[in-house]
Amino acid sequence: MSPALLATTATEGQQHATAAKNSFASGRDKITGVNPKGTPPAIQLIPMAPRLDTLNGKTVYLVDTGFHGSDVLLHQIEAWFGRNMPGTTVVFRRKAGPYMEDDPNLWKEIKAKGNAVIMAVGH
Amino acid sequence: MGIPSAPLVTKAFKDLAILNAAKRGMPHERICFTPHPVWGKTPEEVRAYVEGPDPVSGKPLMKEIVDALTAPLSDDEKKSGMVSVSVGPPTFTDTADNLQEFYLNNGYTDFLPIIIPTEEKVDAMMKGTSHKPDEAVGKMAAGAYPAWSYNVRQVAASAVMAGCRPEYFPIVLAVASSGIASLFSSTNSFAFAMVVNGPIRDKLEFNYGIGALGPFAQPNATIGRAWTILSKNLGNGGIAGDTYLGSLGNNLNYNNVVIAEHEDASPWVPFHVQRGFKKEENVVSLFRGLGVVPGQVARGSSANENVQFDYQMSDLFSTFTGFFGALIIADPLVAARLKEQGYDTKEKLVDWLYKNTTQTVKDYKSRNYAYLFDYPRALRGDEPWASWYKMPDDALIPHFPHASDINIVVAGGQTNAYPQAGNLSYGVSVSIDKWM
Repeated sequence: MSPALLATTATEGQQHATAAKNSFASGRDKITGVNPKGTPPAIQLIPMAPRLDTLNGKTVYLVDTGFHGSDVLLHQIEAWFGRNMPGTTVVFRRKAGPYMEDDPNLWKEIKAKGNAVIMAVGH
Repeated sequence: MGIPSAPLVTKAFKDLAILNAAKRGMPHERICFTPHPVWGKTPEEVRAYVEGPDPVSGKPLMKEIVDALTAPLSDDEKKSGMVSVSVGPPTFTDTADNLQEFYLNNGYTDFLPIIIPTEEKVDAMMKGTSHKPDEAVGKMAAGAYPAWSYNVRQVAASAVMAGCRPEYFPIVLAVASSGIASLFSSTNSFAFAMVVNGPIRDKLEFNYGIGALGPFAQPNATIGRAWTILSKNLGNGGIAGDTYLGSLGNNLNYNNVVIAEHEDASPWVPFHVQRGFKKEENVVSLFRGLGVVPGQVARGSSANENVQFDYQMSDLFSTFTGFFGALIIADPLVAARLKEQGYDTKEKLVDWLYKNTTQTVKDYKSRNYAYLFDYPRALRGDEPWASWYKMPDDALIPHFPHASDINIVVAGGQTNAYPQAGNLSYGVSVSIDKWM
């Protein structure tokens, strides 16, 4: 998705305004209203991390965010790897703290010991 | 981290996940999707999810995940740099009727008719403050995305739209400066409240008597409404599926719960004084939670001379999530009776309520919020949750983690002795005088 899509409010707004003018505005007084929107921050694009050639021989961390059922889902993914990609080492971890809080210690561990991450899930 | 990742999200949150990744600088993040929901499904049902297709792409889910981690990056996925985001032109010109439609159709309103924020009306609104139009007021995000910023003039536009008079503007600015949006992205359909204290309640003719929480005075109605409109416009909140996910929504979001405390009829110190302000200062205090329930539903709430409001309030709390606190809104008749019963300070009543509103550990652990928020804290060793999770199932623990989670204000017309109680947590108190 292009970041430009994040500006849909403005783009659609201009389209609506034009349509309104063409359809209804003739013969009536016009007034000017201000744009009430705040100022969004510019977006710093982050290059994605280089991908792996293969998962065989690699360590994949399965990170449970703490949402209900995330552990059940990730353990099924763990089992899938065991059945279908036994050359991949899978490590299950529950992220510390509630889902909305960061866990820098876990990220440090993954960076030191892991090659890839699968993180789940929302509801 | 510099390590490839595959985020896995249920299909219901597709738009949210894609848009949030883009807002945070990864518009091409390789997000994989499972059917919705995962919650409540058996391991066998979830295994079928894992072995089935990604409901968004239609491809096998595990192939999608493996590809997300191993397929070479495209040029777009390697891009860095800054991308600006436009919100459109500074003004719009059309007939009044067409502009009314325009503001509505573009998500600038609460879907009720608005006052068109013409430059003249915005200029008039800004006469309600000594602050300059381009002065920064704050930043706001209604969810987990980078906050938007805004100045005095931008706040004034939303205040006009809500129907505020210029003399109300310092309160709207104080609310906006808090950065707290009254529309929040949670699926839980949050509600918000504000408590207004100080002489400004009388100067602006707030209603804190009969119908204190109802549509009976312009400042109560429009300042609360302004909070929601500015949350949409300045914090980019309230976009269903993107910045708002409340499953049922909340009717209180139209103008929020606006409470001007009935300070003269209260036997206790006003709320803002409890928070360290002087009585003559004008202050707005903000709360967030799930809603308000009437005292009539509590056991023993019939109006008789032996009614025990402390037990009624405790009974109301039993239906509350302990994730949020409690905000008691006591009619002056209730407050007077409580004082007669020995609660000569709010603190004494809070202490009794905290100690006497209890639950078993078994009941506590069965609650949704306990699993989602408190259990992870317990695992980390945070108190009191760590201790609670070590106790036997039949042990009694407080309903709220801390006594400070319970707050009390007084409002109402004394036509009957009823309290109401909000499952609402105190957030912050902001000086209104600063924004005069």
